[in-house]
Amino acid sequence: MGLTGLEIYKQLPKKNCGECGTPTCLAFAMALAAGKGALETCPYVTDEARENLASASAPPIKAIKFGNESVLGDETVLFRHDKTFYHPTTLLIKVSDKLTDSEIEAKVQEIEGLEFDRVGLHYSIDGIAVVNESSDQDRFSQVVEKVASATSRSLMVLSENPDALKAAVPGIASRKPLIGPATFENYEAVVNFAKEQKVPVILKADGLDALNELVESAQKLGYKEFVLDPGSRSTSQTLANLTHLRRLAIKKKYRPFGYPVIAFTGKNEPLDEIAEASVYVAKYASAIVLKTSIKAHILPLMALRQNLYTDPQKPIQVEPTLHVIGDVNENSPVYVTTNFSLTYYSVEGEVESSKIPSYILPIDTDGTSVLTAYAAGKFEPEKIADALAASGVAEKVNHRNLIIPGAVAVISGKLQEKSSWKVVVGPRESSGIISFVRTMQG
Amino acid sequence: MIIIGERINGMFKDIGDGLRNKDPKPLQQWALTQQEGGAHYLDVNSGPAVPTEERPQAYEWMVKVIQEVSELPLCLDSTNYNAIEAGLKLCKRPAMINSVPAERPKIERVFPMAVQYNASVIGLTMDKKGIPKDSENRLAFAMELVAAADEFGLPMEDLFIDPLILPVNVAQEHAPEVLKSLQMIKTLSNPAPRTVLGLSNVSQKSPDRHLINRTYMAMAMACGLDAAIMDANDDDLVDVAATAEILLNNSIYADSYLKVFRQR
Repeated sequence: MGLTGLEIYKQLPKKNCGECGTPTCLAFAMALAAGKGALETCPYVTDEARENLASASAPPIKAIKFGNESVLGDETVLFRHDKTFYHPTTLLIKVSDKLTDSEIEAKVQEIEGLEFDRVGLHYSIDGIAVVNESSDQDRFSQVVEKVASATSRSLMVLSENPDALKAAVPGIASRKPLIGPATFENYEAVVNFAKEQKVPVILKADGLDALNELVESAQKLGYKEFVLDPGSRSTSQTLANLTHLRRLAIKKKYRPFGYPVIAFTGKNEPLDEIAEASVYVAKYASAIVLKTSIKAHILPLMALRQNLYTDPQKPIQVEPTLHVIGDVNENSPVYVTTNFSLTYYSVEGEVESSKIPSYILPIDTDGTSVLTAYAAGKFEPEKIADALAASGVAEKVNHRNLIIPGAVAVISGKLQEKSSWKVVVGPRESSGIISFVRTMQG
Repeated sequence: MIIIGERINGMFKDIGDGLRNKDPKPLQQWALTQQEGGAHYLDVNSGPAVPTEERPQAYEWMVKVIQEVSELPLCLDSTNYNAIEAGLKLCKRPAMINSVPAERPKIERVFPMAVQYNASVIGLTMDKKGIPKDSENRLAFAMELVAAADEFGLPMEDLFIDPLILPVNVAQEHAPEVLKSLQMIKTLSNPAPRTVLGLSNVSQKSPDRHLINRTYMAMAMACGLDAAIMDANDDDLVDVAATAEILLNNSIYADSYLKVFRQR
């Protein structure tokens, strides 16, 4: 990302001495912005200005990596339709060190079970946040060790007591946990410890002004692997904070806020908590720590996350395998369509409401619609015939009738020849499927 | 695209007569006509119809009579900054100051005034020596104006830089330089200043003025033009503005986009 002339000019000494070979500082700034000069030719630039200029050309939000391939930050837009969101929100489940050993075992086991396969995609929970709620620092170390040995997922280790962190973290430092929180009271100890262990650290302060001050103080310790926590625990205040932090980092390139942000849910009722977490997934939280770990609560949140972090530029596709609608039998009709999700689900919806159990075979057209695929040579008789043979549907039905979209009626002859199925031209629009299939069956 | 209707100008005979006879009718009529055409601002210029010493009163009068019939914000067009200030005091909506060149004494007079009255400023990429020929020098003046906005606390989106288009029949080589300038002005700061052109200038004394105007407007919009002082009642021209907005993905497409553009 290039710097603007104004950003450079503000860092120059404004002496207009001409020693750089350009008559004024303003003209020099413009030459630099256009890539026509080197900052070194100005003998009066301060180290601070040099640093400001270097950091102004860095990405707006730093990427922070921790644990088992968890990546936070490194985002560039406020709205996903402007480009895309890159790094899906890291979801962690809280485990308190106040729990008994057996409760911890049960909780970790439940968390380990948070793996889902849905519409051809696999979702899994990213990690566990061990929180020091007992005031016992030995117990905290024990629990961290216990959790670490029971999971290979990313770990977060949270205690406001620097000594508790110092006791618990070294044993698992190779797994690069995210630790914290560093606050005004403990930040020198915690940030220096994080620096020594080479692990990222959460900076927590109450509100944006305080957070700004804390980040600037912490940066002076010579470490920059930070994740920000603006301290709020109510949904509305957190939403406002998340929005301000993202806006300032991207729109104003405000460097102290150029780090990913973590959110903690405040609600205790799990359904409320998931609604709250949904807000944070949608509005810029890079990581969220949740309390509930029940499958039914987590699945919708993960589906939302997957949905929001898809690339809007790329069409969404369904699996190009044989799909079964309802309680099929050997007489069930067989439809062919494309694997563009909009197309496929339009067909699926109509087939479902026809109440006739059916097979649908979406052809892999790189997620394009019927006419787009046909025009691009991705929906051709040979390809459809091959997919039909590979699908194994021939062994499942005792008829050989294949229903194709009405918009590509023109391929019916060739397809019949290639596949040896009887090709039936369906309606042009999927909305006509219900009456079409009734007529056919009747 | 911000359309600044150019018609209320003392250089036109009907407006000049209105000014001399203190007859508000032609001014009010053109305010409404331009508003219907699609104008977002009304340029207000007494021209030479009023002697210099009477201009402050004349601008007060013009602002008053136009605001009697139209709610549109005004673009006060004069080199007499006392006249502009007199007008600004009466403006009900944030106005635009047209214009200031990149000359220090004028910048020092106009920018604080703009901040005081919450007005926008049109800054010209020229100084006493005149209009530069190439885009590099136009840009250097634009940078002076950008630095001034930062210095005086004028929000960057309230600075409209005018890279000064000249008639194509006598100064043809300027037209592409102005397009280059428009592109580069957008890289000077973040947020970027906005840009404006006195569009009708490009076709002075040429035949087919309307064709030249609208062709250049589409080209300039592709280079980042945000506003134009122009004939708001040239329907083809307004259609081009609306269409270019669609093709630049600035407004969401609808079949009725020409109508929607005029309804804003």
